[in-house]
Amino acid sequence: MRHQALNTFGRSGNPVFGQKFDGDAQFADLPASQKMTLEGTINKTGILLLLCFFTAGISWNIPNPALMIGGMVIGLIAAMVTIFKPTMAGSTAPIYALAQGLFLGGITVIFEAQYPGIAVQAIGLTFGTLASLLICYKTGIIKPTENFKLMIVSATAGIGLLYFVNIMMSAFGGGEGIGFIHSNGLMGIGFSLVVVAIAALNLVLDFDFIEQGSEKGLPKHMEWFGAFSLMVTLVWLYLEILRLLSKLRR
Amino acid sequence: MDLNTIFFGGLAVLSLAVFFYFGKFKASKEQTDRDDRINWTKGSFNYKSCLTIALGIFLLFFFLSFLGLD
Repeated sequence: MRHQALNTFGRSGNPVFGQKFDGDAQFADLPASQKMTLEGTINKTGILLLLCFFTAGISWNIPNPALMIGGMVIGLIAAMVTIFKPTMAGSTAPIYALAQGLFLGGITVIFEAQYPGIAVQAIGLTFGTLASLLICYKTGIIKPTENFKLMIVSATAGIGLLYFVNIMMSAFGGGEGIGFIHSNGLMGIGFSLVVVAIAALNLVLDFDFIEQGSEKGLPKHMEWFGAFSLMVTLVWLYLEILRLLSKLRR
Repeated sequence: MDLNTIFFGGLAVLSLAVFFYFGKFKASKEQTDRDDRINWTKGSFNYKSCLTIALGIFLLFFFLSFLGLD
């Protein structure tokens, strides 16, 4: 049986919110201690970030392809379970954060070896974007609407499709796939800028989902789900900023 | 510690502090009291439009790549 929260909350630009819903269920009968709150979601995001930093530190100090690939695969499985079983988010979201830390630590070492100082730049810009967009959202400077959601979801799907085709072309003899995705020319840098912007605007959808979720008083485990969705977007944003910075320094 | 680390490290710490402080407050009335808020509670999402735009974006970049632009 599908959880009531999924009947209430549907799709956002973030793939983790990709659930269908049928009605407008209410959670008024839940006790206050079992309802989703903003504070709870932010605290849980902090826990996930700490877990991610912890394993990223391990992977940074002991660079090992097995750790990286293992982290990527486990992270993907944990993400899938969280998306399809949000009630398990309390246990799968921390696993996702730990696994992604291993992956991110490893990939950061590779970039840092080629472009010294790039890691701290990417981390600073990622969290800088997070804080700026949070302020823009909270103050109402950016007001997400249905059309905004449509554009961000569509653009995210389009980029996903492009990356998928690129991987397929690379895997089946198409050289390096779609050329400009990796190039440091004008098109390549422009493409990366667009992708960074789309990834960043996904954060606004995450904020709106969390804000409305706490207004409606969704069940407590949705705090983990909201924190997980923010983590997914932050991981994507970090990787895209890392890629953009590397193109700029080539 | 070089300037790069001080500047971007400081930016990261400051931004996290802003996130953990302001994230716990409700959004302003200007944000919450609107008629055109995203309605997460009903299935108003237009999948056909989404797919069309997504395919458009994909084809645009794919065509540009086909032309050999990089």
